[in-house]
Amino acid sequence: MQIDIAHIARLSRLAIEEDKLPKFQSQMESIITMVEQLPPMEDAGIGLDPEHPMQLRKDEVKPSMKRDEILKNAPQMQAGCVVVPKTVE
Amino acid sequence: MELYEKSAAELGRMLRAKEASAAEITESVLGRIAQVEPRVGAYLTLTEETARSQAARVDEKLAKGEALAPLAGIPLAVKDNISTKDVLTTCASKILYNYVPSFDAFAYARAMEQGMVLLGKVNMDEFAMGSSCENSAMKTTRNPHNPDYVPGGSSGGSAAAVAACEAVLALGSDTGGSIRQPAAYCGVVGLKPTYGSVSRYGLVAFASSLDQIGPVARTVEDAALLFEAIAGRDPMDATSIPHDYTGLAAGIHAPVQGMTIGLPKEYFGEGVEEETRAAVLAAADALKAQGVTVKEISLPSTPYGLAAYYIISSAEASSNLARFDGVKYGYRTPEYSSLTEMYEKTRSEGFGDEVKRRIMLGTFVLSSGYYDAYYKRAKLMQNRIAAEFAEAFAGCDAILAPTAPGTAFRLGENYDNPLKMYAADVCTVNINIAGLPAVSIPCGTGKNGLPIGMQLIGAKFEEAKILRLAAAYESLCGGFAPAAIVD
Amino acid sequence: MAYEDYEVIVGLEVHAELNTDSKIYCSCKNSFGAEVNTNCCPVCTGMPGTLPTLNEKVVDYAIKMGHALGCTIHNVCKQDRKNYFYPDLPKAYQISQYDIPLCEHGHLDIILDEEGHTKRIGVTRIHIEEDAGKLIHGDSFQGSLVDFNRCGVPLIEIVSEPDLRGSGEAKAYLEGIKSILQYLDISDCKMQEGSIRCDVNVSVRKKGSAEFNTRVEMKNVNSFSGAVRAIDYEAHRQIDVLESGGEIYQETRRWDDAAGVNVLLRSKEDAQDYRYFPEPDLPTIVVDPQRVEQLRQSIPELPNHRLLRYMKENGLPYFDANLLVENQDKAAFFEAASALGKVSDKAVSNWLLGDVSRLLYEKNLTLAETRLTPEKLVEMIALIESGEISNTAGKTVVEEIMFTDATAAQVVDARGLRQISDTSALEAMARQVLAGNAKAVEQYKGGKTNVLGFLVGQCMRASKGQGNPAVLKEMLTRLLEEM
Repeated sequence: MQIDIAHIARLSRLAIEEDKLPKFQSQMESIITMVEQLPPMEDAGIGLDPEHPMQLRKDEVKPSMKRDEILKNAPQMQAGCVVVPKTVE
Repeated sequence: MELYEKSAAELGRMLRAKEASAAEITESVLGRIAQVEPRVGAYLTLTEETARSQAARVDEKLAKGEALAPLAGIPLAVKDNISTKDVLTTCASKILYNYVPSFDAFAYARAMEQGMVLLGKVNMDEFAMGSSCENSAMKTTRNPHNPDYVPGGSSGGSAAAVAACEAVLALGSDTGGSIRQPAAYCGVVGLKPTYGSVSRYGLVAFASSLDQIGPVARTVEDAALLFEAIAGRDPMDATSIPHDYTGLAAGIHAPVQGMTIGLPKEYFGEGVEEETRAAVLAAADALKAQGVTVKEISLPSTPYGLAAYYIISSAEASSNLARFDGVKYGYRTPEYSSLTEMYEKTRSEGFGDEVKRRIMLGTFVLSSGYYDAYYKRAKLMQNRIAAEFAEAFAGCDAILAPTAPGTAFRLGENYDNPLKMYAADVCTVNINIAGLPAVSIPCGTGKNGLPIGMQLIGAKFEEAKILRLAAAYESLCGGFAPAAIVD
Repeated sequence: MAYEDYEVIVGLEVHAELNTDSKIYCSCKNSFGAEVNTNCCPVCTGMPGTLPTLNEKVVDYAIKMGHALGCTIHNVCKQDRKNYFYPDLPKAYQISQYDIPLCEHGHLDIILDEEGHTKRIGVTRIHIEEDAGKLIHGDSFQGSLVDFNRCGVPLIEIVSEPDLRGSGEAKAYLEGIKSILQYLDISDCKMQEGSIRCDVNVSVRKKGSAEFNTRVEMKNVNSFSGAVRAIDYEAHRQIDVLESGGEIYQETRRWDDAAGVNVLLRSKEDAQDYRYFPEPDLPTIVVDPQRVEQLRQSIPELPNHRLLRYMKENGLPYFDANLLVENQDKAAFFEAASALGKVSDKAVSNWLLGDVSRLLYEKNLTLAETRLTPEKLVEMIALIESGEISNTAGKTVVEEIMFTDATAAQVVDARGLRQISDTSALEAMARQVLAGNAKAVEQYKGGKTNVLGFLVGQCMRASKGQGNPAVLKEMLTRLLEEM
């Protein structure tokens, strides 16, 4: 299995240095070879387990957290907001 | 015997009998930390002041004659992926090097409600990905039995701290063996509870469907006490399941006669070291002499567990770790000219190589065109593995297997060889995949002088059964000795 | 080139914010317009280690909408993660639903014209998901600011089949969806606050062709009129491309309503790979079938159905029926008045939509806040229909019965508004008016018959509004002929 590691890195928002690409590539491929040992399985739906239904939350408002507390870890702040590089031109 | 060497149960008795104060216990452990920490390197953050004031509060209550919870005054180390309000929670990652939560994890809050004393936060593999603690971006933690060896991982700091008597109890987390494997490597007791029995709220997620918080201790009873304290339904975690464990710790010394243990042949075959196999089989014989029935069983899909585990855990991790993007908390790269560049540089500089590998593996198996071949197939395999366990438990009370294929490996030995590192998880991952409880306890010493561990695996919510068997073995072998730290 | 040679095919994805008290996955307040980052908690800002818990009201509301659109309800379903990076999405994934939506295979009958012709539009699915935050842009600061208040506001996404033809049908569909949301009281539907937004899929094909051509998705359509403009623009763009020998590519374009154009956002090659997978933090949604049925029974008669009924059974024109249906209070009032069976439905509708609505608007009140009852209004209309009071007098009466406890008859008596139909009294008055307006009489005789209106008015004035204008007109004509 050949993996387009550059594409996967882009999707993951990771910038892998050129010189590290081959190593990641071969490590990833050996992992993929390992996971390909899984036998073919009879197709069935996944993700539903009605035997264990979810308990839903009542629609009740509880106090929110103070803004200073909620954003105390933000790397850059202005006017009560987190700042990021401009998203539109 | 120093206070720091004693069990939580014994310290609790001494507190109530006024033979020791909480302050004395805390000072004893803090002194031990000062003494051995330079050689163990378990702690990332020490909270001595918090510890002292918490201990003082327990002593005040005691003086007023107020009732104490079972673990009041007991010093606790907490893995650094469990959120502690106002105390750094880094996940041993550069990307969270300065992150201070504004809330407590449910399990930690439960421990604090008991009146436990927070010593600090302990090392781990970055985001709990690893089996040696070598993936920590912060420091190296060494095996207290031999500093050239790894303590295991990812809860290596929790196991090393408890083994070195730098904590009486510790909280760890187990996604694919991360409590049990380091417990085995360090010669302590580690319990991975049933999925859903302990709330994951506040546990920084690695693989949401597999993660579970659990205790690390030097005695089975202590592990049971801490588990009982942290278990319970949490309305903030939709995957937490109500189950009444009241009386669990008190009942662990009930007789085991008449119980049945299954030995799955797939866990004793190729890849498992001879001395490990022999030690686990000897433990089975010892239990047999106590009237426990031992029989061979088969879990045929076992060899596929590792592949299913790496697909599911990496897929979930790739999504769970996407939030570390330099926007809201943690590390942000100093220089960038666009949003995409900020994301990519922040994440590339903030994550270590193992985390990157898993994020990319997870991204790959979920990506367009590959989902069915990998993720879906792994989830189907997960159902099959769970069904095989369920079938096995129809004929036995617990399953006994090695915790790891061998004893701890040397620092650097497997580093940068992901497949070899992943093989250390081969005995543990299936238990997470099936959502079952398992406790690892020491069962001997290898040629290299390092502990060998075995795990007792139970059916869902049958922690009481596996802890009873573990306690029976513990008393048979005269208890588990802490690491003798040599210079 | 002929645009009319082409058929424009439209599919819509409508996102509607639900008006629950709390957010979808945490207990923060669900409200618009709070100060930035004050309706936030660790869960909705994606702090490490936090977990979602699903609000039961969101499930109820989505099921109601599903019933209203005749959907199959999947009472056993799940949620999935949609993964993408953007600063307004703090977890870097949106919790949504992928392969098993809560509701599927429904339809909406849209009304095509004033004759009440309808067309059935397929509804592919309705699913629940969380809204993202807001980015604030400005020249006074570097970069963009992130406000997380909207993160976790509950949304339903309603996806239509590509059954709509042209912007007119699209608009009718959007209005239909909006009025249902309002009837169910599950969304505030405030366009200016962004509580309904849509993505528009457009393709074109030569009339008569049965093939679907490549479609283009347009984002950032924030109003119904904007949707019409965006569809028309995009259809013309595609036709221009095809007519000049070009090709349409599957791409996503961004509608700029101010400029009236769309621009390429991303091409197919850059298509997002959302890597959907089941949300591991949320177990299976299982809604008791009894609850599903209970919700079905709670659905009121839907606006389109009601509109057609008003046209067919009450004989109202489309315009009137539509105005009544838009306001549930007025529609209910109309039905209660109509049920009394005493006066014409058209008259009730006219009064409700005319003077009553004007007075409500002027005083910024709702019907419920006035003293008007269907009985009181019908009594007043009956007085007009029987000729006891004039239509003009009715305007005075209606204002009083709306804001006091008086009945129409009481107002008429108190104010002496009853019409004079006694011919001898009126004839004396008419002769007097003619005598006093010799010039007008002369003009009438000279052929300018339209002065009759003036003379009627003079008589009305003389009678202090109590003369019956119809009787007066007839009488004046006779007297003028006799002169």
